[in-house]
Amino acid sequence: MFARFSFIAVIALLASGCANTSPTLGSKNISYGDTKAVETVTNEFGSTDLQMIAESMTRSLAQSGILQGRPVVQVYDVKNKTSEYIDTREITTSIKTQLMKSGTARFASDNTQMQSQVDQLKLQNQSGLYKKNTVAKTGNMIAAKYRLEGSISSIVKRSSDYKDVFYKFSLQLIDVESGLAEWMDEKEIRKTTER
Amino acid sequence: MRLQLIAVATLALLAGCATPPPPEPGSAASKVVAMGKLKNIVVGAMRVARENGFMTVNAQLSNTSYNNKTFYYRFAWLGPEGFPIGEEETWKSQLMYGEQTSFIQAIAPTPKAVDFRLEIKTP
Repeated sequence: MFARFSFIAVIALLASGCANTSPTLGSKNISYGDTKAVETVTNEFGSTDLQMIAESMTRSLAQSGILQGRPVVQVYDVKNKTSEYIDTREITTSIKTQLMKSGTARFASDNTQMQSQVDQLKLQNQSGLYKKNTVAKTGNMIAAKYRLEGSISSIVKRSSDYKDVFYKFSLQLIDVESGLAEWMDEKEIRKTTER
Repeated sequence: MRLQLIAVATLALLAGCATPPPPEPGSAASKVVAMGKLKNIVVGAMRVARENGFMTVNAQLSNTSYNNKTFYYRFAWLGPEGFPIGEEETWKSQLMYGEQTSFIQAIAPTPKAVDFRLEIKTP
């Protein structure tokens, strides 16, 4: 009798230990990770590389003192000179976001946003649908004082024991009127796989 | 006599196990947040400056081991109330050669940062 009772009690205890008391639903094989963790799944271009580049370029540019009075900057796509597929637009988006948050620069519509900007202005001014005093007038867009452009390249070396990938990201800020580069910086990253 | 000797020896051993006093406020050690015991990495002097409105930090780190060591670090930037401002930084991996002393530099993300913490983790 006692043995049966204690057997049932042990089973109940084990079962309650397995019960899910967390506000989660789904398989235990999937979990959210740390977005800021160092990612070394492969030695291709990864999330940590993107974050490191955006962070170091933004801080260097903001602190350089060139961006006085929150000038307007036009950002061009970063040229991908590596042999990998890299979404370089995400690098520039991160740089723009961080610069905007630091309060040091404003951004003009870049080539991807210009069409939407023009479409919206045309719609407001030419369709006749909007109240005249609420319409954004054409001819009042602010031109960029600087343009920001960069490139990323890589050198890949392989041997029987190692695969070494060296990335170099460079970024420069150019004064549109004079054509002079007012600021430049670069970030180098080396990732090595030891077989 | 024997009991007294044992008591003295026990006290001496316990004194060795006592937790060290907390670092002086404002010292370099008070800015370091070590996640666990730091194996062979020693944080030295720190230089803090404000350049063009942004706080910049230069921290000296030494590898006390003969072997190369990799560690992870990031800076947390604090506002006037002592709470972090902005998003967490990405963790950075740094390799130090045996018995090397090197410097890590950082710039705050916004001019509002007035203090910082250096988070370090050795694997």
